[in-house]
Amino acid sequence: MNLVRAIIANFCTLAVCGVLLGAFGAQFIGGELPCPLCILQRMAMLLCAAGPAWLLATALRREVDATDYARCYGASALAAVLGAGISARQVLLHIAPGDPGYGAPVLGMHLYTWALVVFMTVIAVAAAHLMLLAPAHPERLPLRAFSRATFAILALITLANAAAVFAEEGFHAVLPDNPVEYRLLDDLGLKRSS
Amino acid sequence: MDTLIFLLILATLAAMWRGKQRLAVALFLASMLAVGLLFRHHATDALAISL
Repeated sequence: MNLVRAIIANFCTLAVCGVLLGAFGAQFIGGELPCPLCILQRMAMLLCAAGPAWLLATALRREVDATDYARCYGASALAAVLGAGISARQVLLHIAPGDPGYGAPVLGMHLYTWALVVFMTVIAVAAAHLMLLAPAHPERLPLRAFSRATFAILALITLANAAAVFAEEGFHAVLPDNPVEYRLLDDLGLKRSS
Repeated sequence: MDTLIFLLILATLAAMWRGKQRLAVALFLASMLAVGLLFRHHATDALAISL
């Protein structure tokens, strides 16, 4: 059973990492600059993934028990509630008939609508895990090398997001409501004149 | 501000990796608070959902 729990913790972390990589694809391949609410949803997703990643990191040091599961999946659910609030707000901003929404739809829904689906899924998975799969006794988790790689991927994606948003924001305090350029290039005087 | 919050999340991950449980909890909650406050700053437009 501890193998199942290790697989689920790795999968939950990597699934959210996959969603964030998809957002990077929309940004750098699709050429869509993320708006401030999109960036806030990315932050909430990273905090969602940090929950199971925390469990994996703890399991590399010692046996984990039900308290560790409660702390890690509870943190994940808490971040998902915050993220769901942000994405629900963005859905409501564009819910009026005739509103084209922000950005191009993917598989029929905009990215912020998909984000709401992801956050609700995180809450459901965390709750189901705590209800059905929390261990009765302290246990070691297998897949240690895989867990290290999973944690490293999450850290790299966080770092990449920091770099990407710095390029978009430049030396300004906050992002504009509708970003149209990478302001760091302008701030550094590297923008080509047309 | 956004960059700093991502770096705060990275610091949270570092605390989790190093096994500093209390620091990780504090940084996690600080990250949540920072995201909430930035959301409050950006959520200014009235929603056009009145009937």
